[in-house]
Amino acid sequence: MTDSTSKSPSLLIAATALGGLGVFFSYVKAGPERFWANWIFWFVFLFTVAIGSLFIVALQHLVSARWSVPIRRVPERLATLLLPVTPIALIGLASVPVLFPGARPEALHNKLLAGKALWLSLPFFSARTVLVLCLSLFALFKLVRGSFRQDKTKDPNFSVRARRFSPLFMILFAFIVTFVAFDWIAGLVPEWYSDIFGVYLFAGGFLAALSATTLAIIYLKGKKRLSEVRRDHLYSLGTFIFAFTVFWSYIAFAQYMLMWYANLPDEVNWYHVRLHGGWHVITVTLAVMHFLIPFFALSTRDAKSNPRRLLRVALVMLGAHLLDLYWLIFPVLGMGPIFSWPELSFALLFLGGGLLWVRQALSWGEDMPIGDPFLREGLEFRL
Amino acid sequence: MSSSALVGVLPENLRPVPLTVGVVTPGSLDDQVLAFPAKRPPRAWFIAIGITSTFLLTGVALLCYTIYKGIGVWGNTSPVFWAFDIINFVFWVGIGHAGTLISAILFMFRMRWRNAIARFAEAMTIFAVICAGIFPLLHTGRPWLDFWLFPYPNQRALWPNFRSPLLWDVFAISTYFSVSLMFWYLGLVPDIASMRDRTKSKWKKAIYTVLSAGWLGAASHWRHYEKAYLLLAGLATGLVLSVHSVVSFDFATSVVPGWHMTIFPPYFVAGAIFAGFAMVVIVLVIVRETMQLKNLITDFHLEVMNKVILAMSCIMGYSYFMEGATAWYSQNEYLLHAFKNIISGTYGWAGWLTISCNILIPQLFWFKKCRTSYFWMILVSIAVTIGMWFERFVIIVISLHQDYLPSSWRIYRPTLVDFGILFGSFGLFFTLVLLFARVLPVIATTEVKGILPGAQPKHGGHHE
Amino acid sequence: MSERPSIVIGLFDSADALMTAIDGVKPKQLGKLEAYTPYAIHGIDEALGLRRSPVGAMVMVMGLLGALTAFGFQYWMSAVDYPIVTGGKAPWSWEAFVPIMFEVTVLFATFTAGLGMLFLLNKLPFFGHPILASKAIAGITRDRFALAVEAGTKDAKHFNAQAAEAALIAAGASNVELLTVPQQAPVFDSAFLLRALGGISAACLVSGFIMYWTIKLFPVLPPMSHMLDQPKLGPQRSSRFFKDGHGMQMPVLGTVARGNMPLGAATQDEAAALLNPLPRTEQVLSVGKQKFTERCAVCHGSLANGIGSLTAAYGAKPANLQSQQFRDYSDGKIYWVIVNGKNAMPSHAADLSVDQRWSVVHYVRALQRAQNAKDEDVNIP
Repeated sequence: MTDSTSKSPSLLIAATALGGLGVFFSYVKAGPERFWANWIFWFVFLFTVAIGSLFIVALQHLVSARWSVPIRRVPERLATLLLPVTPIALIGLASVPVLFPGARPEALHNKLLAGKALWLSLPFFSARTVLVLCLSLFALFKLVRGSFRQDKTKDPNFSVRARRFSPLFMILFAFIVTFVAFDWIAGLVPEWYSDIFGVYLFAGGFLAALSATTLAIIYLKGKKRLSEVRRDHLYSLGTFIFAFTVFWSYIAFAQYMLMWYANLPDEVNWYHVRLHGGWHVITVTLAVMHFLIPFFALSTRDAKSNPRRLLRVALVMLGAHLLDLYWLIFPVLGMGPIFSWPELSFALLFLGGGLLWVRQALSWGEDMPIGDPFLREGLEFRL
Repeated sequence: MSSSALVGVLPENLRPVPLTVGVVTPGSLDDQVLAFPAKRPPRAWFIAIGITSTFLLTGVALLCYTIYKGIGVWGNTSPVFWAFDIINFVFWVGIGHAGTLISAILFMFRMRWRNAIARFAEAMTIFAVICAGIFPLLHTGRPWLDFWLFPYPNQRALWPNFRSPLLWDVFAISTYFSVSLMFWYLGLVPDIASMRDRTKSKWKKAIYTVLSAGWLGAASHWRHYEKAYLLLAGLATGLVLSVHSVVSFDFATSVVPGWHMTIFPPYFVAGAIFAGFAMVVIVLVIVRETMQLKNLITDFHLEVMNKVILAMSCIMGYSYFMEGATAWYSQNEYLLHAFKNIISGTYGWAGWLTISCNILIPQLFWFKKCRTSYFWMILVSIAVTIGMWFERFVIIVISLHQDYLPSSWRIYRPTLVDFGILFGSFGLFFTLVLLFARVLPVIATTEVKGILPGAQPKHGGHHE
Repeated sequence: MSERPSIVIGLFDSADALMTAIDGVKPKQLGKLEAYTPYAIHGIDEALGLRRSPVGAMVMVMGLLGALTAFGFQYWMSAVDYPIVTGGKAPWSWEAFVPIMFEVTVLFATFTAGLGMLFLLNKLPFFGHPILASKAIAGITRDRFALAVEAGTKDAKHFNAQAAEAALIAAGASNVELLTVPQQAPVFDSAFLLRALGGISAACLVSGFIMYWTIKLFPVLPPMSHMLDQPKLGPQRSSRFFKDGHGMQMPVLGTVARGNMPLGAATQDEAAALLNPLPRTEQVLSVGKQKFTERCAVCHGSLANGIGSLTAAYGAKPANLQSQQFRDYSDGKIYWVIVNGKNAMPSHAADLSVDQRWSVVHYVRALQRAQNAKDEDVNIP
């Protein structure tokens, strides 16, 4: 049985409140553009971690994986972040006229944007966002609420239903991530296009969710919960992180190299901004943090199952995902890489709030899906 | 489908499926699988190899004709300078990837069911890469000068152009062939050792002794072997992604409308796995029926592969959708025109054929009845094979025949030599498959022995 | 030939039985323990006390070496030895070098794993191991599990084969065999070396000759020779394409050489309307002077007055271009005469380009003005 931790997270609450105060002032002092850039940044981060966690859950159901059953509750709890993310997204719609050139009336006079100005306009944008949120919440209820219920009912039919639902989820997921990627990130520069962008955001989000899951598991093990989860399970998680680090790097490099090679003006400007004026430092840092460090840190078998190594790498990966989104979104402001009190406030608010939510979520249901018929087999998993 | 509310009684579709049917022991496995290389093949084999050899020899003759007369005997002409040659190349390389996925990637994921089909799949990879490699070597026009592609010091004082994706291809395909061959050979060593110790024929024993390198099954050797095998599987996994991505770079690095799409690398890889699995399904159905291996290559194996085909079909659907959506989103008139040509115009029929065969027909696999019926799975697999060949046709011919300059627009017509060489490559592939089935064990007996129930000790070290 | 048995091997029916036996026999320390199995057994490495395989580290090192080698040779070849800009891409385009670097890394790593494992670590191929010739091997590669007690290299003399045999039987082994390691006669004696050297030299000679004649002969065989001897038109070549069989044909009627467009004026009067396209600059006049002096002065005289050096010998009377008739000519009419000739004067179109002709016209005009100058022409401000 689990119990919520004895002492209340007062420090975390205080930090979050401080962040909230800073966020409130930053709208006035730093300007709406900077405010909304931060807002979108944090929305996309929390959303990708949440939907990525839901993807992990669905993937395990899809392939009927047994090794992951003991740890499946963790990404299920992380996926509940979709609940607070929903109002964050809806509020974020106010950023559309501010930061998205395609939604402004001038777009109709721009040769490149006129044909799709309707698609990029606020009503359609909002409709797509609402659709994405509805589909995500629908999947959340189907997969996560059913799993929590299974704890009590021990009904194996949920596993059958989840396995049936997961292929449909995959199709929905593809469109959810593609829409978010194209609408909220690529839409900041509407003349630019890259059809791999949805895959790119998926790769980053999946990695972030894997890292968050690993982090949560190691945290729980530190609190003497999930004691039956062994190094063999951690090894599988470490392997996933390693493999998808390579996958993300491959997608990122492919997009960059193809645009560099053809050197077409509609595509290359997006990279040009990120390779000059201070952003090139961020680009190199991103390559190091998102590829070199995790690749070499996790290459040996021992490293993949070592909890301390995994903890550090998971933290680096989450930082790398943040840096990735920062690198994707902030150049729209036309300044170099900025980091000051507005960004710090937003970080305190959203990171603090997110951690508070996760902390609460970690007390929902049992630590392992005890109603799952394959729990025993999952606990007996050996390499 | 039964449903049950009782704890402990699993519904039908959650019950674990055994990987072998009936009683299979290591001894019976050897007797079943290793008997084939030892005895004379049935008449059907001779008929089959006669047919495939005919295709092969026709292809070889036309290949010699092409070398003698020049590429003019093909249909390639301005502006469609790449046609059947590159279509066939990409097609065959793609088919090879399924084998590597089954033997390497599924090994990394510890999917035990892959053990029974890995050997055959790897062999298919090697044969597919052989078929594929012929085309880039042939299409250079002066194939006897192909060695110029390699960076060796020469009196022309020239190096090949490392900035060209065509050269990346040379390295990628060579590496893929070498790695697949090494992986396949290493997997074969313990099996050939088994054949060495069973055979009564002196000359066969000599050959098997040499080929098995004196393998003893020593535990000290196994530990190096297992580690090397795991590493090779990991390396081959990287190759599955990279080789077909490099092939996609041949197109995506250009500025031809319809080719320069950033989604090409993962899209090509997914397409390769898709086409390859379809070919594996076709071949395995034939193998399990003619060689009575249904207890080892079970219905479960076929059903799982069909599910993979369905998944890949959905990924292809997503890719096609993204291509069309991006063509519109880019508001680029050339890209829009290229995309319109796929579904209308002279070659519009090829575009619709591709979409039907690759996206629509495989959706039949949502139904369990189709996943488990020979008729439907062979129908879908053949449709996928045709559809994937035509997909490369659509990408190459349609984009090339009408790109930026209307004065250069032409209609492409393939010649009989083109078709003959294509069918010849199928003849080569299936001839090699038939020879393999005759000479080497088609199932990795050693690997399957390791996953039989009771194969591993219950007590003994668990790693912490 | 050593008679002492140095390997005692016993067979077991299952992996469990083997593991139990190992636990039973190992503490007795009768020699080096080795197990022979048809497939890899989980946990046997720990039970036998085998160290971890170094294949992983070897592969990592060689993989890195492959990456550096690939980047190195691409960099050297593209940016140092013969730097060319292709497709607008600088010689040192690291982006373009990544795919090959990846492939070569995998190649190096693979060969290290495969061949390193086989040759270096397992010391295979080796066909002399006594177990290969034993009765046990047939069971080992089929479905039996063997445990062997082997004499270590240090204590070969102290190896107690009987005790080992007893221990194995006590642990449950069947078909216990005693094997001897055959003494190996030295392979490398002088006769062998001589034969080997002789064989290698002969092989080199033969292959050398074959290579030489291949390199000389191969390129002149068809189809390699097709580019050397191409079915294209050259000077003096025959051609079946044309009726008369000649490759060289007259140009089609009406063909105009470049820079030699027809005048478009059939008579001198029609040409009167042509305008001089060249400006009256010093450069044009100097060209005109040069050409006039070369071509026209011999007949028309250096002052264009009709008294040239050839006049006396010639008998014909060249026109006096200073006369009123010719001063009244328009530029176009003079031009027409240069192109078509008039009376005894031949056409000079072949000798003078269009620009040169018009320059000459300018010069003639200048001469005419010079010889018939008015006071206003000498204008002293």
